[in-house]
Amino acid sequence: MRRAALALFAGAAFALGAAGADLPRQDYVADAPGTYALQRIQPAGNGWVLAGNYVPRRLSTYTHGAITLLSFVYTYCTDPAGCPLAYNTFVQVKERVSEDPALRGKVRLVSLSFDPTNDTPEAMKLYGGQHATDKTVPWHFLTTYSLRFLLPILEDYGQEVELDRDADGKAMRTITHMLKVFLIDPDGNVREIYSAAFLNPEVIYNDIKTLTLEASPASGPVR
Amino acid sequence: MKILLANYLRLATGILAVAFFWSGAGYADETCNSPYMSRLIKGQEHYLHVWTLGVKGLGDGSDKLVTVDVEPGSKTFGKVIHTRSVGGRGEAHHMGFTDDRKYLWAGRLDDSKIFVFDVGTNPSKPKLVRTITNFSAKTGYVGPHTFYALPGRMLVQGLSNNKNHGGVTGIALYNNKGDYISRYAMPVGMTAIGGGDGYGYDIGVNPARNVMLTSSFTGWTNYMMDLGKLIKDGEAMKRFGNTMAIWDLKAMKPTKVLEVPGAPLEIRWSLKDGDNWAITASALTSKLWLVKQDASGQWQAKDVATIGDPSKIPLPVDISITADGKGLWVNTFMDGKTRYFDLTNPEQPVQTFEKVTGKQVNMVSQSWDGKRVYITSSLLANWDKKAADDEQFLRAFDWDGKDLTLKFEVDFYKAKLGRAHHMKFTAKPQATAANESSGRLLAAMEK
Repeated sequence: MRRAALALFAGAAFALGAAGADLPRQDYVADAPGTYALQRIQPAGNGWVLAGNYVPRRLSTYTHGAITLLSFVYTYCTDPAGCPLAYNTFVQVKERVSEDPALRGKVRLVSLSFDPTNDTPEAMKLYGGQHATDKTVPWHFLTTYSLRFLLPILEDYGQEVELDRDADGKAMRTITHMLKVFLIDPDGNVREIYSAAFLNPEVIYNDIKTLTLEASPASGPVR
Repeated sequence: MKILLANYLRLATGILAVAFFWSGAGYADETCNSPYMSRLIKGQEHYLHVWTLGVKGLGDGSDKLVTVDVEPGSKTFGKVIHTRSVGGRGEAHHMGFTDDRKYLWAGRLDDSKIFVFDVGTNPSKPKLVRTITNFSAKTGYVGPHTFYALPGRMLVQGLSNNKNHGGVTGIALYNNKGDYISRYAMPVGMTAIGGGDGYGYDIGVNPARNVMLTSSFTGWTNYMMDLGKLIKDGEAMKRFGNTMAIWDLKAMKPTKVLEVPGAPLEIRWSLKDGDNWAITASALTSKLWLVKQDASGQWQAKDVATIGDPSKIPLPVDISITADGKGLWVNTFMDGKTRYFDLTNPEQPVQTFEKVTGKQVNMVSQSWDGKRVYITSSLLANWDKKAADDEQFLRAFDWDGKDLTLKFEVDFYKAKLGRAHHMKFTAKPQATAANESSGRLLAAMEK
């Protein structure tokens, strides 16, 4: 199955680079923090994940105790409205958070791979670069042991995995996902789900600030 | 499942092109659904689902989801290929897809039940997977009308309330699993933003402006009343919505109430990139209204066209905007006409076509390319015409820019189905880039 998944995801970079996409317009000023409420949409999904040391941990370890921004990625995606957009958005959010003393120790970022075969813990660490080791705002680059461990997590979050089919019903060489980024409060509740249509760093930053206005201070360092 | 797994494994032999993320930048569906919904059908739709009101003594008498094969060349083209009765009659009305287009939520205006169908697994045979019965108990609202997808969530616009069955109502928010999250009251008497009558009907979101637009109809007492009796009841006729509301979408707070007399119903934002205007039709005053920002950035509504002869109350009901934002179909219930307006200048729509498409017509849905137009007949069980004028049908037309040509028709009475109301398209998995859900993939691997 690991080999199947490896082939499944191979060659994506070329295809995505060719696909391209218009980024959505966002012609508005984000609402100020605390002027609105973020609803508790659903519990954050759970499951077994792998970090750099291959020691399995529960995903809940990375979604509780701090405000968490989580997205599903894969390391060789080049769709400008996909992984690169999510990655760049995370970088911008990280910069804003690191510059805000009030958010120090209260926020983490999590990127979890769609492709456990290609995206080994080492590959994810490489993908994360300096962000994987920079502790100012923890950014965890996670994967899973196999699709068997990944798929229930995707199901929990409502992040589907799908294969295209041709006119004869045969599986084609394409997979499509809808970009979703999840904002999770320290208690492990999903409080916002962003799609590309409103993946706005300013909105996300203000949402994080909004959550801090209702959350109790973190009792210890964010892992 | 073995086949699925085999196909999945077969992928190991090739180099795969992977288009992972759907940007969501392509606004709306074909052409009037939430901009947050994925899997636009820009080619040929294969199935058309009709949310159908049961009729006592006709067939099983139950409300049902009727699936029709609309794929040209298919052996069952134009035929009913599946029905799923839900039990009872509760004023079946509108439907809406979840953001992943896997599930179709369908509401009933009388008993406020919401039925969730799985249309992603096998769209030719929708499966009822959940019935939500707490809409009224959780919110105090009645009549779940519009189902509007947000990422991972569903907005459900009510029409009425359970205290007096009037028109003051609100919007409920559920997650995609069907769990109730929150509710939002429609603006009423909020003088700081222009008032508000508290009524609700449709929802339309413009993500580029963080704006949600709502419209207004009437409450349970009126929409469940016989239409002939209602029209003669002067007091009842006063109890229709006369407003639209601009909301801050992020905050889910109304920011401005617009005066739009005469029950503004369906909302259609222009799908053209960069456009920031919406259009609606007021049922009782028979006008098209344009909602857009003025030079100072303030949202305004103004009537920009008349539909038929308002003095004859043609009763414009459903509208459908073209994908390029340059045309609008308008169905008028009373005269049974389907009209086309040129929206090249949305400030001055011009009617360029009209045709009688039935003795009574309500919903109109078009394909993304605008070449196919589908029409159904039922408005509300107690508002539909009587005797020979009470035709109940689905009619499919081709549109060549000049005329509507009937391709097929399903007589819903002859087929003992009921009253044909709201329509939604689905397509076979290969046309939508949809396929197995993660859960089914997992199940496949476990075998």
